[in-house]
Amino acid sequence: MKIMVCLKQVPHQDARLDVDASGTWIQEANIKFEINSYDTYALEEALRVKDDTESEVVVVSIGPDRTTQALRTALGMGADRAVHINDDEANGSDALGIAKILAAVAKEENPDLIFMGLMSDDGNFTAVPPMLAELTGVPHTTAAVGLSRANGTLTVEREIEGGATEVVELSTPCLVAVQTGLNEVRYASLKGIMAAKKKPLDVKSVSDLGLSGSVGAASAKVSIEKIAPPEKGDSAELIEGSTDEIVGTLITKIKELGLL
Amino acid sequence: MGSILVVTEIQNGEIREASYELASIAQGIASGSGREVKSLVAGSGVGSLAEAFASKGGGTVLVADDDALANYNVDGFNAAIRAAVDEADADLVLISNTPSGWDVAPRVAAGLDAGFVGDCFRVEVEDGSFSFHRRIFNGKLDAKINAAPGKIVATIQPGAVAPFEGSTEGSTQPLSVDFPDARVQFKEIKTSESTGVDLSKADIIVSGGRGVGAPEKFPETIQPLADALGGAMGASRPVVDAGWLPHPYQVGSSGQVVQPKLYIAAGISGAIQHLVGMKASNFIIAINKDPDAPIFEVADVGVVADLFDIVPALTNAVSEAKG
Ligand SMILES: Cc1cc2nc3c(=O)[nH]c(=O)nc-3n(C[C@H](O)[C@H](O)[C@H](O)COP(=O)(O)OP(=O)(O)OC[C@H]3O[C@@H](n4cnc5c(N)ncnc54)[C@H](O)[C@@H]3O)c2cc1C
Repeated sequence: MKIMVCLKQVPHQDARLDVDASGTWIQEANIKFEINSYDTYALEEALRVKDDTESEVVVVSIGPDRTTQALRTALGMGADRAVHINDDEANGSDALGIAKILAAVAKEENPDLIFMGLMSDDGNFTAVPPMLAELTGVPHTTAAVGLSRANGTLTVEREIEGGATEVVELSTPCLVAVQTGLNEVRYASLKGIMAAKKKPLDVKSVSDLGLSGSVGAASAKVSIEKIAPPEKGDSAELIEGSTDEIVGTLITKIKELGLL
Repeated sequence: MGSILVVTEIQNGEIREASYELASIAQGIASGSGREVKSLVAGSGVGSLAEAFASKGGGTVLVADDDALANYNVDGFNAAIRAAVDEADADLVLISNTPSGWDVAPRVAAGLDAGFVGDCFRVEVEDGSFSFHRRIFNGKLDAKINAAPGKIVATIQPGAVAPFEGSTEGSTQPLSVDFPDARVQFKEIKTSESTGVDLSKADIIVSGGRGVGAPEKFPETIQPLADALGGAMGASRPVVDAGWLPHPYQVGSSGQVVQPKLYIAAGISGAIQHLVGMKASNFIIAINKDPDAPIFEVADVGVVADLFDIVPALTNAVSEAKG
């Protein structure tokens, strides 16, 4: 079984988010990055398949030089190989452009299974997995919170609203986009990290994939005009002071509500 | 000039409220963009629902009525939406950002080689072209996204706008769809079994988020305040995902929707999926050390401070006040 895991490196969840000079993205200098939280569950699920069936896990990421770190971490956790699409020509791609690049990689790799996160913690688009499935012609499902496998058939519990789930079945080759909490994600062991240094990490360009001129900002059908902190609406009354003063005010409010 | 296609969604035998919200957006931008509003009602035995929707903002309603659409399945709904886009000559397709919407919409966009924007809360027309407003970074920033000319598929956050309430001239028209074999087979819906933690009955809920930092801090810091107030403890999703508390404690779109007299959120940033679960609470106190946290937008009272300074002191003060 060959499993392709697509992952994105995103700003750390606790990173300071300041808008950059262009007004279209955040300042990336001097902040920490990490693997997108949703994608860590996708990688873990792939590694679990590998734990009980002879499999190859290939991790794929599109991004600048810093992305090597995320791929090395994934190799340290147990992935076998990494493919890094590192090319300025990919910059400014919209979700469809990203899906086209990943589809070109999928065509080369021809995986039985593609696992990826439901969405990214930065863009929150929830777009690339179904697009990639359409472009590669395989069935897909999203928001997996439970997954079992028998003879090439996957039974997936997908999260719907109000704590309910919907059970679906699909056969390989297929793509599953996972929800957070699907499993308990392992850490890279020291031994794993040492071993990762010797694992193959291929760097490719957009033209290596035959996509020159068809992805990136010039081909994007949607683009960010500007980003900004959310407009302040009817915000909370902020109470300030020493801890004692704050607690005193809160007690008064709770008493006014008739709850004390 | 093309049309705006509203893709409705059926839930428990009714067209869900979110579909009327799409109708409201579509009607709002129709004349400014010089486009007509058309809709798709897809399901099994949906003729009368389609009639009703036509007169409530749906415009020309294309009806795909087939057993293959009795339950959500991506292949059947993808085929129906694609057929509707062709029939309506649509260049803007609006779909609700629900579990079925986010599953099918990007697939439709890729098949059409169209642009895609996810989870928008506002759509505008400027000089004939569309722009979309949405949150990024889990609610911490807003982005304005522009679409190049051509077809575009957008998903819309449920609850972002008021549902369409007027009445309109409309009509229905059957839509023929070539259904492919369903490669993703629907099996069943599983509802969560009840576990004794029923936050919906609590008058007071004290919820902790990822900012609480460690599993032992819930019994040490959050639960004592809930106990002192005679309320219940809740949590945001990352707390449950990390296994710090079981799922019944989760408040939000994929957990419980609560409406207590008092909701205290400690170390919760205020992502939309959490807010939909608690914003109807009568009174909300938010404690967060980040002054820009979106939770302050829905709170009545905000405290910008470390929760580990405020929560234990508040617990003591509540106990004293109760004597
Ligand atoms: C389909 C889907 C369904 C979802 N369903 C839900 C759901 O039902 N419920 C839900 O909650 N989420 C849900 N989410 C996840 C949601 O998008 C957010 O990721 C989540 O709500 C964030 O949780 P949080 O606020 O605890 O964590 P974060 O966003 O990481 O926020 C932590 C906050 O704690 C603050 N903080 C840190 N330390 C301290 C301190 N010492 N004192 C005070 N403040 C501190 C930080 O400033 C930060 O604002 C869902 C997501 C998806 C895609």
